[in-house]
Amino acid sequence: MIKAVLIDDEPLSREILKSYLRNYSDIEVLEECNDGFEGVKAIQQHQPDLIFLDIQMPKINGFEMLELIQPAPAVIFITAFDEFALKAFEANAIDYLLKPVAEDRFQKAIQKFLEKSGQAPNTTELLETMAKAPSQSNRIVVKTGSKVKIIPVQEIQYLEAEDDFVKIVTAEGSFLKNKTMSFYEQSLDPNLFVRVHRSFIVHIGQITKIEPYQKETHMAILRNGQQIPISKTGYPKLKSILGI
Amino acid sequence: MQIDASLILNKTTATLTARLPLIGAALLWSGFHAWALHQYAGFSWEISVWDSSIFNLVLISTAVLLGSLLNYFPRTGIFQITVGLTLVLAVGCQWISAQAMVAINADETGYLEFLSQSTPIRWVIGFVTLTAVGVSAIYYTRWMELLDQQTRESDLKNMAREAELQKLQLQLQPHFLFNSLNSINALILTLPDRARQMVLQLSDFLRLTLKRADQPWVTLAQELEYLETYLEIEKVRFGHRLEVVLNIEEPSRTWLIPTLVLQPLLENAIKFGLYGTTGKISIELTAKMNSNQLEMEISNPFDSDMQPASGSGFGLTGLQRRLYLIYARNDLVKTNIMTNTFTVNLTVPAKP
Repeated sequence: MIKAVLIDDEPLSREILKSYLRNYSDIEVLEECNDGFEGVKAIQQHQPDLIFLDIQMPKINGFEMLELIQPAPAVIFITAFDEFALKAFEANAIDYLLKPVAEDRFQKAIQKFLEKSGQAPNTTELLETMAKAPSQSNRIVVKTGSKVKIIPVQEIQYLEAEDDFVKIVTAEGSFLKNKTMSFYEQSLDPNLFVRVHRSFIVHIGQITKIEPYQKETHMAILRNGQQIPISKTGYPKLKSILGI
Repeated sequence: MQIDASLILNKTTATLTARLPLIGAALLWSGFHAWALHQYAGFSWEISVWDSSIFNLVLISTAVLLGSLLNYFPRTGIFQITVGLTLVLAVGCQWISAQAMVAINADETGYLEFLSQSTPIRWVIGFVTLTAVGVSAIYYTRWMELLDQQTRESDLKNMAREAELQKLQLQLQPHFLFNSLNSINALILTLPDRARQMVLQLSDFLRLTLKRADQPWVTLAQELEYLETYLEIEKVRFGHRLEVVLNIEEPSRTWLIPTLVLQPLLENAIKFGLYGTTGKISIELTAKMNSNQLEMEISNPFDSDMQPASGSGFGLTGLQRRLYLIYARNDLVKTNIMTNTFTVNLTVPAKP
């Protein structure tokens, strides 16, 4: 039996998927979710083999939801209209359905999934691309325990490398995200965030002072007193953005 | 034709008016020149006036010639060219006027001697005058070009503004359209009658959308009528949990508002309201006039675990951008979060 979860904010949209799925006796829909939060819970609970995932949803979108799930199950995306996403899908050979969903197109997608059964497509690259989409670059979605949190980028104080993770530090606390420093260096607004050190990206609005430290290095003092080291190569970058 | 003629006439008068001070200055200078000759060099009025008239006439004609000539020179090094040209012309002016004066006053030896002695002064006067005219002409041309460029730039900005407005309005549509079609697709299977009704509602909505494409301003009443069509469709898409309460004070109904200002707000309220809570949700919309501005408030229930500021998406930022383009004000949209209610306050000033 193939376990499936439907995640779409419109009941009628799920209705049509269910009606198409009735022809597949070996695919069982375990849960229907109205948004990404419910989606995360349902996926953790049921460990489905396949999810149907709408992109435009309230709260967090489909890509943001997927970022929170490790490892991701096989995904068939569903979207009404998103040129940016379509390009990303095609570049990463990931299957998607356009609304209104046509039955023959739906069957093809299922066929494709069955052929590759067992191996979920690698969505890492797709998610990296989508995280840089203009609509998404103003916030970061993280998971703390079973809760999902949305961090507006302006609330980030700094980011710090921590083994294979990046620690995102805000006034409310710090959150770990399974990403690389260079990913955030590229996706965050370069006029606000500067990689001042191999292990640190700092929000320039948080800096109150820059003091010389050991030879050729400096130390940034944040509003809350936190000290962030600035490397020899990081200093000129920071200077040029601050215009000094 | 008549309009064209009067335009040309106006233009000629305008150029003449603009040149009056220059002509006046030239006459004044010539008078002073003649008077000084009479007063200090002791020549008769006749000789003084002749000298002044001829010298200055030659000089002014040369200056006018220089002014128009400069338009034909390349821009690079034009100042050097002007100075060189002016030197030659100043000497030429002196020579021509001297020839004329010698011919006219052949028997006035005292004057002829003065004439030859004053040659360097006439060179200097000629040079200074011509340089001043030449340089002013160059700057004048550049200034006019700059003005022209500024006009074009502001026209361009206006055009870009219009285009952006249209683009933003269009941006509201495709999602809604495809999602609605998807709903219809689903309804055909289960509730064919409802599907047919929705096709008609969607058609109404599209017709109204097209109608207002070239109608940037509508009354609040018209906008509400449009929104009702929109809401009917949203109700189908999101089930019948959605309820919208309108509280519109009568005088505000005739107030002009930019099209599609309310829709994104309503769309936002629906998105945030519907899934933050379970059960029926109610979105409230009030409108009233306050010191000659329309004040609106849209509130929806929401889940306080959410961070609506970050997820407001296209709705609010797009709206803010639009209102800024129209009213050049950034303070027209305000959001307010109270425990379980998200409120947007929208102020619509008078049409600019």
